[in-house]
Amino acid sequence: MRGQSDLVRHLAQFAGALRQRGVGVTLSDEADGLMALTLVDVGDRDEVRRALRAALKIRQRDAGVFEELFDLLWKVRYESSNPPVPAPGIPIPARPKAGNRPGRQATESEVERALALGDELGYSPEAVLRRKSFEEYSAADSTAMERLVSRLILRLATRPSRRRVPVRGRGEADLRRSFRRAIAHGGEFLSLARRARPIEKPRLVVICDTSGSMDPHTRFLLTFVLALRRVTRSERSSEIFAFNTTLVRLTPWVRPGRVDLTLERLSMQVPDWSGGTKIGECLGDFVTYYLDELVNGQTTVIILSDGLDRGDVEPLAGAMRAIQGRARRVLWLNPLAGDDRYEPTARAMAAALPFIDRLLPAHNLESLERLLPLLAA
Amino acid sequence: MRPEIAVLQEAMERQGYIADPAIATALFLAREMRRPLLIEGDAGVGKTEIAKVLARLLDTELIRLQCYEGLDVSTALYEWNYQRQMLRLRMAEDEGKTGDEIEELIFSRQYLLERPLLRAITRIEGPPVLLIDEIDRADDGFEAFLLEVLSDFQVTIPELGTLRAEHVPYVVLTSNRTREIGDALRRRCLYLYIEHPTLEKEVRILRSRVPGASARLAEEIGRFMQALRRRRLSKAPGVAETIDWAQALCHLHSEHLDRETVAETLGCILKDQHDLRELGAGELEVVLAEVAEAVG
Repeated sequence: MRGQSDLVRHLAQFAGALRQRGVGVTLSDEADGLMALTLVDVGDRDEVRRALRAALKIRQRDAGVFEELFDLLWKVRYESSNPPVPAPGIPIPARPKAGNRPGRQATESEVERALALGDELGYSPEAVLRRKSFEEYSAADSTAMERLVSRLILRLATRPSRRRVPVRGRGEADLRRSFRRAIAHGGEFLSLARRARPIEKPRLVVICDTSGSMDPHTRFLLTFVLALRRVTRSERSSEIFAFNTTLVRLTPWVRPGRVDLTLERLSMQVPDWSGGTKIGECLGDFVTYYLDELVNGQTTVIILSDGLDRGDVEPLAGAMRAIQGRARRVLWLNPLAGDDRYEPTARAMAAALPFIDRLLPAHNLESLERLLPLLAA
Repeated sequence: MRPEIAVLQEAMERQGYIADPAIATALFLAREMRRPLLIEGDAGVGKTEIAKVLARLLDTELIRLQCYEGLDVSTALYEWNYQRQMLRLRMAEDEGKTGDEIEELIFSRQYLLERPLLRAITRIEGPPVLLIDEIDRADDGFEAFLLEVLSDFQVTIPELGTLRAEHVPYVVLTSNRTREIGDALRRRCLYLYIEHPTLEKEVRILRSRVPGASARLAEEIGRFMQALRRRRLSKAPGVAETIDWAQALCHLHSEHLDRETVAETLGCILKDQHDLRELGAGELEVVLAEVAEAVG
């Protein structure tokens, strides 16, 4: 039998382990979780699981991690006559494939480490990381790049919003506000209020290839990503992903304010930087876990990759079809396309080609400069 | 399981909503903790239906706010009835009223058009169920505004002052995940993700919602839908489609699934041209064979 204070600590540890795996659980969520647990039968493990999923607001894409950690960590029994189940020595149950996030299974020793707070569990194991040197990064490059990226984004911003906002001068008559104004003048219409649709800011999703064959372009790519984040300041207007053998969402780690810190963090976050490529699988993961929420009719998806992948092309074509189906447009920036002799014949590139609005060269600033006029919608 | 949750689950079932324990638990917690419930899931899994069932269970009014891009405060919260105000203003002038009197007159509740959010807050008879449907379609600005309303359950109208909630409404928000819901709003709510139903649950739903369908037909339809969802479709059909289809088949007096009827009525469940083509060339027979084998 465990008491209330054990429950609090247990929940805090569980939430901590979730955070370590990149699932956003805040203190207020924990408070909600605790309140929920007082309302349900804590002796019923499945009910606890369901209650915590609701109260901690576990999204579907995090469900795999949640279930895995719950199975591993929530072993003590509360208010039941049975003796507590001993934690060690229990095999890790196989996880259902569906709903499981990219990532690997935690081992038992990792569980112990996770419980010793402050330790990493899973997601970004430094041991398997190959650190990347970013010394070449120069400040002049980034200023030039930022200027370019802001122009690029202006080019992309062309769609009028559905929402109408008050404007001065031209625009359609806004009867409600005109009446409202007239009332202030004793019912006389002195002037008509007008409204119009503002031009919307675009949303961008950038998916970068960080595999070995892209190595020579790494610097360019990072400059681009950083400039993008700096120009689109609002959190939600740009999303950044990196992939090689797994897909990683980098958005929270790219902080333009602290370039040095960002680079440090990035190399920590992307496992196997400069490793192999699994384009199809990674884009498939993107479609499964992020497409619905991050991509809509206003979103331009930019994929930065050389398209060199010897894997099966079928998943790649499927993923690209899904992405194109939702996005406003799909641009593929290929560093190799800078060479005049380049033909998109690499198998992966050829498979993706039908679902791309534009394939563009991108190996240096000049090439980006040249693509600006092409981006007018 | 806590008995209250089981009771809620049964009550929902009596109202024709087959709920699994996850749904009943989340709804129970939302009701007890008095927090909004944010429901996500694919189209047609029965998100909106939960709010309707909840309103029936509590025997209260369901107030619905359908979100769309461009939804603004004057459609969601309140609006002054300017035309009426204008007429009254002219009359008041003729009556020789002073400015202050006129102001008091035309900015009273009488001239206020209540939109769903305000109505949910000011309902006197008891707490209503407020359904904010497809919140993902509204834009970020509206979401921020909604967060404010859902935090305090009070609304400030400059000309009238602050209106506090008579009774805090039960709030259900649904999202099809076409846009990520902001963290702040998500944290304010409890969260429920509804998956496509299991075979057993889907058959029970069919038996309850389409009583005309025989046990065998329901089972066949259920298996067919499960087989469909295992395939890679761009729009997996939800329970709503299953029910539509079962009703269509009942109208056609089908006793079981045969190739011609299914081919003719496939439009009830597959609403994407790519998916229809995918299931055209021989694939339909494969699915039907799977179903026939499973049902025996």
